[in-house]
Amino acid sequence: MLKKMLAQLGIEEERVRLEWVSASEGDRFASIVDQMTEQIRNLGPFSRNDGG
Amino acid sequence: MAKLKMALYWAASCGGCDVAVLDVNEKILDVVEIADIVFWPIAIDFKYHHVEAMEDQAIDVCLFNGAVRNSEQESIARLLRAKAKTMVAFGSCACFGGIPALGNFTNRAETFERAYMEAPSNDNPDRTFPQTKTQVNGNELELPEFYDTVLTLRQVVNVEYFVPGCPPPADLILKVVDAIATNQLPSPGSTIASDKTLCDECDRKKEEKRITKIYRPHEIIPEPERCLLEQGILCMGPATRGGCGALCISVNMPCRGCFGPPAGVMDQGAKMLSAVASIYEGKDEEEIARMVEEVVDPAGTLYRFGLADSMLRRKRLEVP
Repeated sequence: MLKKMLAQLGIEEERVRLEWVSASEGDRFASIVDQMTEQIRNLGPFSRNDGG
Repeated sequence: MAKLKMALYWAASCGGCDVAVLDVNEKILDVVEIADIVFWPIAIDFKYHHVEAMEDQAIDVCLFNGAVRNSEQESIARLLRAKAKTMVAFGSCACFGGIPALGNFTNRAETFERAYMEAPSNDNPDRTFPQTKTQVNGNELELPEFYDTVLTLRQVVNVEYFVPGCPPPADLILKVVDAIATNQLPSPGSTIASDKTLCDECDRKKEEKRITKIYRPHEIIPEPERCLLEQGILCMGPATRGGCGALCISVNMPCRGCFGPPAGVMDQGAKMLSAVASIYEGKDEEEIARMVEEVVDPAGTLYRFGLADSMLRRKRLEVP
């Protein structure tokens, strides 16, 4: 529902990701964080852009 | 004691706040007893130039209702700010943007397209839209500029007090008038209502909150005693300031959030979303997806009154 709501507000879906990672899955956790960081870097900084 | 000088103004609003002031019935005479009303467009024939002619700070208190969505409203907000010692954001629109701020899901071009072209009652083959300046018979006519974004009063001028509500209930209005009259206003920046949530003052039976289906208000006749949220109706109580007297709840209607976020909460919609997420009891992905579908317009529902005041303030405008 958060994603649905953010889409209504014009925020790219790629900026939000929900994953379940167990405490024993350290490598997986690291790779998800890396992927997400890379994805956000590609999108560039978020500007609120509230016009006027 | 000299009588107080009071001004009332409406900007982007429906007029309900002004009517609410009159709704105090015979108590309005008490208001007139303590205050001279020097400006009130809905009721008294003072013009802008009368206000412009006043000295700065000549007005003791200004009750400003409505959000700010065009240049006229902005300039009157600035004018009244200069002339008034105390500025009160009166009603949900002035406090949080209110219903007009749902316009922040769109922009000026889309709003004009809808209002002057698409709406079924239009016949506008020449695509005539309001212009800020128009030449008619050699004379220049002006209209205020319509903004892309609806603003709260605080986003335009400094505000001392906030009186929420759509409209503020009569007892709250009398409390404000009484506080002004007896010089017992709280510290500036205060919201004049409860600091707690609506849930805190709601006397419905609250048991375990676990929901598997969301109902829109017209899809169910709720049990009158039990918490509406537990019955699957999106009641904004957990993320809404109390002080309204639970008027909607007492007639079996869910809270829609017009008192804005409670003290300490920055974003009403996000807070409510978090409350709803924590009581969802979907067994599997499919069921969760169905429940998400059941909320047809999450942003419009959770930010019904608070979009302009939220962290994002509006749907992002495309970068030109």
